[in-house]
Formats: sequence, C-alpha cells, structure tokens
Amino acid sequence: MPNFRSFVRPLVCLTAATWLLAFTVEDNECPFATKKAHAANAQKKQSSDQKQAAGPFVAPPLAELDAKAEWIDQPVKDTLQLMREKQAGEKPLASLKQALALKNKSKQDNERIASALGRVATDDSEVDYEATINRHMLRDVKSTNPIMGSSVEEFDVGGLTGAGLFAFDWDMNRMASSDTVVSWQTSRDRMYDKVVMRDDLTWSDGQPITAHDVEFSYHTIMNDKVPVPAVRSGVDKLLGVHAYDDRTLVFFHKEALATNIWNVDLPIIPRHIYEKSLNDDFTLQNSPYHVKYESNPVCGGAYTISKRVRRQEIVLTRRESWYMHNGKQVRDKPYFKEIRFRVIEDPNIALLAVKNGEIDEMLLTAEQWVTQTNDDDFYRLNTKASGLEWTYFFFSWNLHTPFFSDVRVRKAMSYAFDYKEMLDKLFYGLYEQSNGMFHRGSWMAPKKQPPLYKQDLDKAEQLLDDAGWEDHDGDGIRDKKIGKNLVKFEFSIICPTVPERVKLCTLLKENLAQIGVICNVRQLEPTVLQDMMLNHKFEAAFGGWGTGADPDTSDNIWATGEGRNFGFYSNPKVDELYKQGRLEFDRKKRGEIYGKIHSLIFEDQPYTFLYFRNSFYAFSKKLRGYNFSPRGPFHYGPGFSSIYKAKN
Amino acid sequence: MFNYVVRRLVIAALTLLFITFLIFALIRNMPGTPLTVAVSEMDPSRRLDPADLERISKTYGLDKPWPQAYVIWLGNTLRGDLGQSFSRKQPVTWIIGERIGPTLLLSLTSIVLAYVLAIPMGLYATARSGKLDERTTSLVLYMLYSLPTFVGGLFLLLLFYQELDWLPLRGMTSDEYDSLSSWGKFCDIAWHAVLPITCFTYTSLAYDARFIRANMAEVIRQDYIRTARAKGVGPFRVLTVHAFRNTLIPLVTQLGLTLPFLLSGSVILEQLFTWPGMGNLFFESIRERDYPTIMGLALLFSVLTLAGQLLADVLYAVVDPRVSYS
Repeated sequence: MPNFRSFVRPLVCLTAATWLLAFTVEDNECPFATKKAHAANAQKKQSSDQKQAAGPFVAPPLAELDAKAEWIDQPVKDTLQLMREKQAGEKPLASLKQALALKNKSKQDNERIASALGRVATDDSEVDYEATINRHMLRDVKSTNPIMGSSVEEFDVGGLTGAGLFAFDWDMNRMASSDTVVSWQTSRDRMYDKVVMRDDLTWSDGQPITAHDVEFSYHTIMNDKVPVPAVRSGVDKLLGVHAYDDRTLVFFHKEALATNIWNVDLPIIPRHIYEKSLNDDFTLQNSPYHVKYESNPVCGGAYTISKRVRRQEIVLTRRESWYMHNGKQVRDKPYFKEIRFRVIEDPNIALLAVKNGEIDEMLLTAEQWVTQTNDDDFYRLNTKASGLEWTYFFFSWNLHTPFFSDVRVRKAMSYAFDYKEMLDKLFYGLYEQSNGMFHRGSWMAPKKQPPLYKQDLDKAEQLLDDAGWEDHDGDGIRDKKIGKNLVKFEFSIICPTVPERVKLCTLLKENLAQIGVICNVRQLEPTVLQDMMLNHKFEAAFGGWGTGADPDTSDNIWATGEGRNFGFYSNPKVDELYKQGRLEFDRKKRGEIYGKIHSLIFEDQPYTFLYFRNSFYAFSKKLRGYNFSPRGPFHYGPGFSSIYKAKN
Repeated sequence: MFNYVVRRLVIAALTLLFITFLIFALIRNMPGTPLTVAVSEMDPSRRLDPADLERISKTYGLDKPWPQAYVIWLGNTLRGDLGQSFSRKQPVTWIIGERIGPTLLLSLTSIVLAYVLAIPMGLYATARSGKLDERTTSLVLYMLYSLPTFVGGLFLLLLFYQELDWLPLRGMTSDEYDSLSSWGKFCDIAWHAVLPITCFTYTSLAYDARFIRANMAEVIRQDYIRTARAKGVGPFRVLTVHAFRNTLIPLVTQLGLTLPFLLSGSVILEQLFTWPGMGNLFFESIRERDYPTIMGLALLFSVLTLAGQLLADVLYAVVDPRVSYS
C-alpha cells in the first residue's frame, strides 16, 4: 500500500476546520440556503419587510385624485382587430394558392408570400380551432413565474399564460388591451395613470383577477428580498401602485415622463396564492409550496401550462375560462387548442424537425436560409418568409484603452473594414449595412441620414498617422509613444464561438493587417464574454442589440456610466438629449431628439456599425396570419395571437 | 479484507473532501456568475441595473467569498441538503434524481450490450486470428471506433428519421405518452432509445472487442495453453475456460472504471437526441454557472469513481486467487 500519511494529515486538519466552521456559521448566511433556514429567517424579519415592501408611499383618496387629475382618455384597443383593419385596406400581392406554390428566392417572392400568408383571419370558419402548434424553443424556460422571467423564451411563455393590461402594435404605439381593460386615463400633468379593469377576468383556479393582484404584484416586484431578475426595470420608476377597489387601479409616477406609459407594464401574479407564502420564502422558488406552483402555476392569460418536461417541452392548453364567463363568450377564442414549445438547441436538428413537420416554425440562420431550405424536401410541408428586424451588430471599442480613446482611431477602424465583403460574401447579400442604432425606416432615425462608411484604407491610414500611430521602429506595425513606452498597435477583439461572428472578426483582422495594425481574434464562451463586457475587461468586442419598444431603452447603452455602456462612451450632449427625450411627449419631436442622438453617436463612432439582421423564418404551410414587426413576427401586438392554422 | 476496505473508505472520504474543495474553488473562480448568464439571455427591452445585480447576488449568497461559501455548502451537504439550482429553480437532488433513470437506461443497456457482443466477438477474433473474416471484422470495428458519435448519430438520424421515418428524432417519449398503457409506454421509450443506445454502444463495442482480442492474443501464447491443447482439450474449451478466464483481470478493472460512466452520460449524444440525461445536465450547469448543480454532480461522480476503484480492487481478489489484501 502506498503511504498516504504525508497528505492525510493536512486533509484531516482541513476537515476538522471545515466541520467547525460549518456548524458555527449562521443559517441565514447560507448561499444555497435550506428551506428551514429560510422559514426561520423569514419569520424573524417578517414585520420589517412588510413595512419595507409597502414603502413610505401613501395613496391619496380617489375622489381627491379625480378632482385634480383632469383625466385624458388613452387608447384601449384590440391589436388583432387593428391588424384586421390595416389589412382591409391592403390587397394581397398573391393568392393563397400562388403563395403556397412559390419558392422564396427573391425579394418579390418574399413580399408575395408574406402578403398572402400574413392575412389574419376575418372569419371564424377559416380557423382550425382544434389545432396544435408546435413551436421551436432554443432554450428551456427557467421559471414559469412571470415576475421571475428574464429571457426571450420566458416572456414568450409568460405572454401567453399571463394577463397583461397593456400592449403595443407593429409601430410600437402604446395602448391598453381591450381584453383586460375597460378604460385607461392619464392625468393632465402625466403624474397618474388610472386603469379600470374588466370584471370578467379570472385566474385558472377560478378566483377573480382584480386590481389588488396588480398592486400585490407591484409590491412583490419591488420587494428587495425577492430576487426579481428583469421585470423590475421600468417598474422601479413608479412611485407606487394602488388598487382603490377590485377594478380601479392608479399608477403613480415620480416624474412626468414620456416613458411612463412603458413603466406601467408589470406581470401580474395571483395575490391569493403568494400573499401568505411570500414571507416564508422570498425566493418564490425554494419552499415545497412554491416549487408546487412553479410546476403548476395559476395562470391569468389565455393559456395554462398543462405539461412541462424540462429541457424537452412545455405544453400550453387553451383556457376556456379566459374567453367564456358565466356561459357567455366575452373575449376572442384563442386560435390554438394547444401550443407545444419543443426545446431543440441544435439548429440542424431543429431544421430536420421542421422538414418532417414536427415543429411548425423556426428562426433560420442566414446560412440555413440560403443553402438548406431550397429543396422540395423543405417545401413539401413548409415555406419561408423574412422581414427586417431592428437588431444591429457592431464592433464595440473600449474608449478607456490607449488605442480607442481617440475618435480618429475609431474612425480609422471603421474606414478599414470591408463592408462589401461582409454583406456579399459572409451574408449572401441578405442584410443591409447600418449607419447607427436606429433603422432608417424607424420614427426615431434622423431625417438626414449619416452616410454609410465604405472601406477606404488610405483614409484610415491618414487618420492613424494624424492620431500619432505610425510605424516608428520600422517593423511594419504601427506604434505610438505613450509616456516613456513605445506601444505597438496590437489589440484583441472578443467574440462568441459562433462561426459567422468569428468570420466577421477575422475579416477585420485581415483588413487591419493591411494598415499595420494587429488584431487578435479571441473566441470566448458566452458567459465569459458577457463577464468581460460587464467588467469592461476588453479592448474591442463584437456584439448586437435588439430594439426595445421605446427608444429610451437604449440610454443604458450610451448614457455615461450606464449598465450596458461597456465601452465607456460618454458624451454630455447625448446624456442631455436622453433626458430631453424622456420629457418630450410629442412623438415627432421625440423622434427628432433621438435622431440627434443617433447622429452624434455615429459621429463619435464608439462602435463600428455593421449591419441590421433580418428575421428569417420557416413556417408550416398550414400556418396563416404571420406578420413581421421590427421585433420579429411574435414580439408585438397582435404577434403570435394573429397566427392560426387554416382549416383546409 | 475488512480492514483494507475500511482503510480505503477513510482515504476515499478525505479524497472526496479534497476534490469537492478543488472543484468549488475552480468553479467559483471561473469568469462569470449565474447572473452574468441571466443578463446575456435577457430580452432587449429589459435591463438589469448594477444595483439589481448586487441585490440578487446577496439573495443567492453570491456576495460571500468562496472559501466561506464552500464551508456552508459542505455543512449543508453533510446534512443531506445539496441546495437549490439557480437556473432551474428546483432542489438539486430532484434534478439529479430526475436524470438518473434516463441516463441509466442508456448507459446500462449499452454497457451490457457492448459486453454481451464484445466477448464473443473478441473470442471469435482470437480463434480466427489472421483469417479474412477476422481481418474484415477488425477493420469494421476500427472504423466504428474512429467514427465520432455525433457524426454517426447524425447519419443514423438522416437515415432512420428523415429517409425511412422509422425512428423518432428526439426526446424520450412521444406526445401521447401519458395516454398509453404500461406496455405501450415501455415500447414508446424503447422506440425512442434505439438510436441513442446504438450510438452509445458502437464505440464501446469496438473498443471492448479490441481490448479482449489484444489480451487474449497474449494469453494464447502462454505455455499452459499449449499444455491444455496437448492434453487434448477442445479448442472451444481452451479459449473460454483456460484462456479467457485469465484475461478477466484487466476486464474487471475496466468494468470498475465504467461505474462513473454509468451516470455521467454523454454530453454530445444527449444534446443530439434531446435525451434528458446527466451529461447534458452537467454541461448546461457549467454553462449556466449553476454552482449548486455542478457541485452536486461533481460529488456524485467523485463518489462513483472512488467506489468503482474500490470495487475493482475487491473484485481482483475474487477473480484472481493470488490477490489477497489480508
């Protein structure tokens, strides 16, 4: 036997020490805390938390509010009806039969397919109400509790199982949803929003959905003890929410801002389920009681979760009590009896599943669109359509590095890049180049569009020379004297291990090599990449941003010191304009402000703006009613709710 | 023997402590936290302020220095609580428990299948050494061994799912599984398991058959085999009783070492077939920096590895009378 004594002794000491520590550390300090510890801890602090959750805000009596508010009516609409009205004035570019026989090979084909198959149902007889739709899901949802959601997938499921008071259409116009709201009014000074909810709303367990549920949800989201990951953003700008009775609800604002109409949107959870249990387990996920409701949540929306096999699928079933109330139909019957989200992480497998009809829709990559979806095998059961998305991609420069603090260097980078090669070769001519964060077709883009960058190596070299980056030591690489040191122009660009993105960064590397700059491409695991960005530990990075429903959501990318401003961009004029944008209520004037921001940022080139991505989708030939918004075919109103399976 | 086992168990416990400490240190010092992942997957219209991140970190105890967090984890583990997964919002023991069945279904079946097929194949290859049929089988086995499972799996899917439509694409059960009878459920799972099991089996089959053949080739040249033949023992009996029994020792070692494999699953195959197994879970939890789940799995695999080694050592004594630990 080998002699283990030499390493056994230190291990024994370590064990003794850990045992000692393990039983002296207090329960409430547990990182992966036990349920018992939670309960004990919760009880101890219960009273103080209740005070904290309620906050110092006290709502004035409603009569007092009504007297001074001078309420202005706001739109309460059904987005599906709006889409119907919009389409009534448009003539389809092809018949259904023609569209289904077409292969999507050109822009015209795409327009004809999208126009014919995008028609929403005008008559119930067109719809197969017994149909199931199998949707592709790239990642599983982590939580079914709507206030715990943070990913796109969670909001997809949450949007179908949750009752929402507000919506926005394809132009990002804000409105209250007529499915849940009777009236929405804003005070003249824009400090209050009053909502009267419908009285025919029930939870899936039969209890009524009331204004008190909304108030409770607000307090839960704002409770510091509850680890709400994402939905707090916006909601935290509210001063308070108060339910005056079962139906009347007032949102109180801290300031009169144009963004207030977005801040009132909060997911609703049932008060009767969580009110008592919250204090036993603030995580809403640890106690057996909460684990039970995580698996089988009480839902307020059109669908309930009927089956969930983690990492495989989540099945939603249409809820009769959503559209029927006391024996009468009170809302539109949702088109699908069942929605089956199938989790398939591998895009190749997902495409196989589409081809065999196991899933009815999927987001395709540019490569799949061009090379793998043209054969009869694909068109047997499916067709495809694409639309422009306001999602842009860029190289981000860290302004706190000796290289990119100078705007001339950043411009030189933008002049050095070969956009033509990127658009034609890497993206098969499918994408359009971007000249800033807002798409030229959007209401917030500047009227006078900044010109697109084109590769101009002479200009790039001139700019680098002007900035002092020249080849002083004759080794072929540019350098500059910073302090006492001669610093070589050599930096790393970080990007995820996605082939398409690596190719883009490699193209930059090749372009820069031509002007005496060394760029190393570092491929990183997504989490490491994100960590480096969050901690500003990078010189350059490849990235992309989707669009929020309001342009103000971009302020935390550009305003000084904000959360997503990874590259330390700072321009006092931009900061000021974001503030102005929030204070302006006229959309046209707001648009001008954001246009100015767009142009200022483009002039500063903290990013080299690359391209806008299209959304490419494969759809089953049985599906109808899909339309593309700047946020894709699902994430707007009516979005998914206009999609149906045709009867024949 | 008893003393030996006890001594080994004590060493195993200390090794375990060391392993978990090391893994804990490693994962907590990897860049990124569970919250970094939440930020990267976030809907573009939402945002997470640094203050929010700090608040959530505190709730999950991520603000503590890792040595302290390790001690707390150890304390809880000794009390039988592996904690709660960050990303799946379920207790770690549940999550692992859920995956054990599907993982064993694949690994156990494929190990048994591989051995059941590999032993006769290895023996056959020994008996027919150098002949055309043996060369052909060896060549096929070599080719199988060098064909990566994800490529093999994809080919099988293209053939049996897309072309022939005989076997399902993914998952462990059909949509209508819940409404099936017990026999129907069994058949449904078996139908789904055919391709994953095939992929799991073919590489180890190739490896095991080659392994047996190589060991046999050595034994068959020994004097006592010649003696047996000279005594007039039939070729079949020489092969199975005289020769094969003596190649059992390396085989037992190998069997012992497959114990952790029983539960570790396969990242690539499980991903390919969307099979809810342990390999996929381990991979995902590392990607998600789901510390409690990673630790739970690391603990499980460490225990199995140590147990496998101990088992192999004990089995030596059983198969080889010359080995004794007393």
